[in-house]
Amino acid sequence: MAKAQVTASSHRGAHRRGSVHPAALLAMAALIALPWIEPDKFALHVLSLIAIASIAAMGLQVLLGYSGQLSIGQAAFYGIGAYTSAFLTAKLGVPFPLALIGAGIAAAIASLLMVPITRLTGAYLAVATLGFSIIVYLFIKNEEWLTGGSYGFIGIPRAELFGYVLRDARSSYYLNVGVGAIVYFVFARIEGSRFGRAINAIRQDADAARASGIRVTLLKSECFVIAAFVAGLSGSLYAHEVRYLAPNDFTFWKSIEILIMVVIGGVGSLAGAILGAAVVVGLPEYLRAIGDYRMLVFGAILIATMLFGEGGLAALAATLGRRLHALARRLILKPTASRKAAP
Amino acid sequence: MGALSLSQLIDLVVGGLAIGCVYSLIALGFAMIMRATNIIHFAQGEVMMLGSMCGLTSLWLLPALPLPVVIAVGMASSGLIAVAMELAVYRTLRRRRVPIMNIITATVGMSILCINAARIIWGSEPLRFPELFATTAYDFGGVRMSPQLFWIMVMGVAIMGALQLFLKHTPTGLAMQAVAQDHEAAQLMGANLTRIMAYTFAISGMMAGAAGIMLGSMFFAFFEMGFITGLKGFVAATLGGLGSIAGAMLGGILFGLIETFSTVFLSSAYKDGIGMILLIAILLVLPSGLVGLWQKRR
Repeated sequence: MAKAQVTASSHRGAHRRGSVHPAALLAMAALIALPWIEPDKFALHVLSLIAIASIAAMGLQVLLGYSGQLSIGQAAFYGIGAYTSAFLTAKLGVPFPLALIGAGIAAAIASLLMVPITRLTGAYLAVATLGFSIIVYLFIKNEEWLTGGSYGFIGIPRAELFGYVLRDARSSYYLNVGVGAIVYFVFARIEGSRFGRAINAIRQDADAARASGIRVTLLKSECFVIAAFVAGLSGSLYAHEVRYLAPNDFTFWKSIEILIMVVIGGVGSLAGAILGAAVVVGLPEYLRAIGDYRMLVFGAILIATMLFGEGGLAALAATLGRRLHALARRLILKPTASRKAAP
Repeated sequence: MGALSLSQLIDLVVGGLAIGCVYSLIALGFAMIMRATNIIHFAQGEVMMLGSMCGLTSLWLLPALPLPVVIAVGMASSGLIAVAMELAVYRTLRRRRVPIMNIITATVGMSILCINAARIIWGSEPLRFPELFATTAYDFGGVRMSPQLFWIMVMGVAIMGALQLFLKHTPTGLAMQAVAQDHEAAQLMGANLTRIMAYTFAISGMMAGAAGIMLGSMFFAFFEMGFITGLKGFVAATLGGLGSIAGAMLGGILFGLIETFSTVFLSSAYKDGIGMILLIAILLVLPSGLVGLWQKRR
């Protein structure tokens, strides 16, 4: 079998294969400690929503950032996951962990319908995914017997793990952040893997990748299925977090929101997808005080963020971190350096 | 449902063609911007909505304005808004050489900005246009036709025809075509890129403005009207083959007809979905849209 002769691009994701960045571990520790520092119920709920959104955003990051395929229809898989999980638990009494996996699998199976369109590229692919998401939205809205239609799906039970029902905001926070962390660490391994290098090669030049023996169509479809699977997981977590689903949560705007998370955070960066989710979900909550002008300001901030270039917020944070690090080193090392220079 | 009489069929065709003209005008804007800059301009629907709102406001101020003037007001305001977007935001982004995904996301930001600005300025209630057209049906040798739909078709075709003449027979139009084909070569031939880009946005804004007045007079004007209509315009442009002017016109009219007929014959609840299924099917057969039919395949 021909070996892929394409190296992973070096400007992004500097860390080595299989290793986890120390900053990620630090962030994990902070996330575990957080509910004890900030026990406010609403704040934890918003953080849960951020974790849930970041799962879907990381899925799109694999699709767009790693393999270069633009999807503006991720809300379809998110919605399929949410309603599948709601249906399985509320109507069939399936335990939550199985429903969670089932939601991911249902979304992945739905994405198999999209396999023929992976040969489209760019805007054509975007329009086809948009079309698919509009069809799914109309289905959710019109098939009342299954989804509750415009009235919404009510009576979704709380998530429960091994017989323990997650009643309070803190335990469901741990569930959502936990699933988010698992997705993050699994995806972090993709980047340096054989699969990750192959899809990176596809993103840079599909023809060259094909010439190097990479099965382009197969891998592109796999990315679609992976992104759909995690979008389904995200939808399921959402269903059990808010416990009420309405078709309007799964319109085209949701897809655009997920895309904005990825681009704001920085295309190609997993941590960026999480940062982006935090901005897109958290900022409007934060701006609630200014009422009607909230989304106006959000739009302006979104446009301004686009000026930062390719790396998005992730690159900005990294630059800031490096500067701070250098500054700290200068401040701490200066006395020693001058002492060394004196004799 | 069931058999249709001839006059009902004609009504449907006329309705489909009229809404198709609206989609065509929006799709043209998408296609022109796509050709020149490679960006999917998600704020196109909002440019249309703002044109509709400005036209309606001019009617509030001067109720006696004749239809062509209202259309001109809509076109002018939408054109100016689109140029302002280009000069203030997109050009800055291009100068900073940010990736294309960033510019596309900025157009989404622009769309959010416009929707919410419009909601603050004009409120969130749907606004009805005053009667702009004669109310008694025209009679073309026994075929009755609503004046509104008739004039929308006539104006749509006239505006698109004028655009074609402009692009084919004026130096600026030819320069725009050249820029669309190859930025650098066009620049070497003396085309002023900045100015041509501004013209491109101006013209696509004007097309959207005309569409906004037409659509507003058919239904309502309200702050969210641009969202779904803009998407349909984008779909129509893709259906025709993105970046092709003729394809965008054809795609828009086809999409209008498909939508109108599927509402009657299939299901009104899935009206938007049927168009999408057809779109996906067409893209699978012709990955570069309808223009793939007559363009030689390489």
